[in-house]
Parts: sequence; structure tokens; C-alpha cells
Amino acid sequence: MKLDWAVVWDHAGALAQGTALTILLAVATMAIALPGGLIVAMLRLSGIRPLAWASTTFTEFFRNLPLILVIYATYYILPLATGIAFSPFATALVALSLNVSAYNGETFRAGIVSIRRGQGEAALALGMSRLQAMREVVLPQALRRVLPVLASTWVALFKDTSLVSVISVGELAYTAMEIRSQTFRVLEMLTAMAAIYWMLGYPQAKLVDAINRHFGISE
Amino acid sequence: MTAPPVIEYRDVRKRFGDFTALDGVSLTIARREVVCLIGPSGSGKSTLLRCTNGLEAIDDGSILLDGKVLPTDARGVRLMRRRMGMVFQNFELFPHRTVLANVLIGPVTVLRLPRAEAEARARTLLDKVGLADKAASYPASLSGGQQQRVAIARALAMEPEVMLFDEPTSALDPETIGEVLGVMKRLAEEGMTMIVVTHEMSFARRVADRVAVFERGRIIEEGPPAQIFDAPTVERTRDFLSHLGWSG
Repeated sequence: MKLDWAVVWDHAGALAQGTALTILLAVATMAIALPGGLIVAMLRLSGIRPLAWASTTFTEFFRNLPLILVIYATYYILPLATGIAFSPFATALVALSLNVSAYNGETFRAGIVSIRRGQGEAALALGMSRLQAMREVVLPQALRRVLPVLASTWVALFKDTSLVSVISVGELAYTAMEIRSQTFRVLEMLTAMAAIYWMLGYPQAKLVDAINRHFGISE
Repeated sequence: MTAPPVIEYRDVRKRFGDFTALDGVSLTIARREVVCLIGPSGSGKSTLLRCTNGLEAIDDGSILLDGKVLPTDARGVRLMRRRMGMVFQNFELFPHRTVLANVLIGPVTVLRLPRAEAEARARTLLDKVGLADKAASYPASLSGGQQQRVAIARALAMEPEVMLFDEPTSALDPETIGEVLGVMKRLAEEGMTMIVVTHEMSFARRVADRVAVFERGRIIEEGPPAQIFDAPTVERTRDFLSHLGWSG
């Protein structure tokens, strides 16, 4: 079998666009799922029963369903439920945000409860409100502690964005697969796709290692 | 004791499940008075302190601050806590903030003091506890004694009327205990009202105006240190002190 790498260069523009969309989707998802996860964690720890229950339900629902199912379900259910026609990109963003918010919620919760109780008490003893104690004392320490986990979630998310190709979002995986079906150059396109994901992913994974080294030890 | 009472405990009771932590404690703390609470572990001393600033809620009885029952609503509790500084056994400095930022945080966040004013106050207090040169350090780089002195400065930054010390030297290496007790002694000499839970009998002996001996959630004996240490009237007080090797 003869490989023809020209096909990759011929479609370099499209691949670059797909790559840009992959990055945009991952960044936008994390931009929603970080505050989203924080809200999920706060509700869970609020001490108010119905809110904690809603948060737990949300987390266990989205954490335990396959992401591809959530993507399909969002694609079919969201327009029915809201009456609005969402673009594939917006649909993908919703599905990924639900999934990653659930994960981040658990991460934040674990970080917050890992901070010694006395820290919060020392803040309260100074006359701070519970919200101030959380914002000034507990959260900054919790965030530092969970940064490595958030970084791992980010790397996983970056690759998982490829799943939204099933609803025709023109990100990297979808673009590469489209070029494959038009040109029948399967191996070339798979290799190109792998190379691009790897080149983007590897430095990120290295960065996660560095973060782990730097923040892994606490107190 | 002619000074008006600042804090008054009236038959205070507190249970944790089946365990009775406070079994009817009554005690009066006058302004400018230093009262040491001593007694075996688990006898209720720390619990009483934690109830005083609302970190624990009492089950029965009452605690009065300046003649008024302690508030229980969130806002009232916050205002009350501003008037009491608390020093913990494990320091509980905020490890993500520098020493200066630890002392600043109360005045800036709670009192809403302008940054410059709060910083001036913090630096004065760090100087007072002998740690002006450590302002830019992080707590982890300090010895236990230094950390506890920062914690005292942090509490003082709120300009409290009463200071509560919960076993402030129990987690310290022997060689750094003295520097913390020295700061506390100076504070007492300046007329700060202080309630001190401690196992440092020589400190209680020298600095306290009054000593209250706890056992099983009750005060079994109370009086000036000379009486408690030299002529205890209660058998259990004598036992407790002799267990500590106290010979008068």
C-alpha cells in the first residue's frame, strides 16, 4: 500500500480550523465547568438539604453516564425541551459542560473538605461570615490542593472533545474523518489526527506533571 | 473584685451525644482579669472557651457578655466575635498568606479598614510580638513559637476586649514555650482581659488573678493561684496537681 501524505498538506487549512475549534471548545467548556463545578460543590456543602440533594443527583447522574450518550441526548432533547434550535457547537458545549461540571464539583468538594476544620474556625473567630471564611481562607487553599486534579481533567477533556464529532461539530476529529471519507486516505488522516492531538496533548501532560511536582506537597 | 464582669457563665451545660462536656459551669470574669482554666484533658475547659465565642452552641444555661446574653443570630455572633480574640492550640495561621497578610486579614475583611491603616496596625503588632522582621515570610518557615506569636498578633489586630487562649503552648517545643508565655504575660500586664486554658502551671501561678480547676465538666475549685497551688481545699485539685508533679 502506498501512502500519499500530500492529502494532509492539501487539507492543512481545514485541519487547522478543526484544531482551532477543538481548542476553543475545550477552553469554553472549562470556562463554564470551573464556576459550574464550584457551584455544584457549594450546593453540596451548603448544609441545606434540598440543595445538597439536587447537587448530588446532578453529579451522580452526569458522572456515571457515558459522555457520548450525554452528547446524543443533548442533541435530541435540548431543542425539544427549550424550543430553540441550538448549533452543533452550542449543543456540544452544553453536553461537555454538564459532564465536566459534575467532575469538577467532586474535585472542588474533595478539596474543600480536605482543609482542616480549624482553618475555617480561625476565620470565623476573627468575625468573618461563612462566605468570607470560604472565600478568603478555605477556597484558596483548596484550589491549590486540587490544581493537579483539575489539570488532569483538562487533559482528558481536551481529548474527549473528539466525541462531539458524532453530532457533526467541525472540530479536529470530525474534520479529519470528513477528509478521509472524501479522499479515502484513511491511514494518512488517522496519522495526521494522532500527530496533532499528540503534539497539543503532550506539552499539556508535561505541564500537569510540573504542576503536580509543584503543588503536590501541601503544608 | 470590684470591676464589672465582662463575661459571666451561668450554669452552662453542653453535651456531645452521650458525653457531657459541661455540666453546669458558673464563672465570672471581670475586666482586666486573667483567669486560667486548668484540669485534666476532656474536663471541659476548651469547650467552655469555644462556647464563649460561639464556635460551639450551649445546650442550657447562659453566657453573658457585658451583662447581655450572647447573640445566636449570624450577624450578632459575628459582631460578638470581633470583641473576642481567640488563639488556638494549633495556631491555625493561614498557610497561603504571608505573616503580614495573616495579621491584616481581620481588619481588612471584617472591619473594612483601609489597606494602609490595617498594614500599619499589623506591623505595630508584629513588632510587639517581636516578629517585625518576619512580615514577608510564610507561616511554614516559622517555628511553632513564632507561629503562635503571629496568631496572637492576628487576634489582637481586631482590637478585642477579651482574649481567649486555648492551650496556646500545648503544641510547642519546650524551647519555644517561653517566648509565647512572655508575650501573653506582657499582654496581661497591659490590662487585657484573658481567659487561658493551659497546662503551664507556673504561668498560671505567676500571671493569673484567678484559677479555676475543671473536672468532668464542672469547676471543682476556684480561687487565687496562691490558694489553688499552695493550699487547695479540694482533694481532687491536690491529686491533679501532684499528677503534674506540682509541689508548690
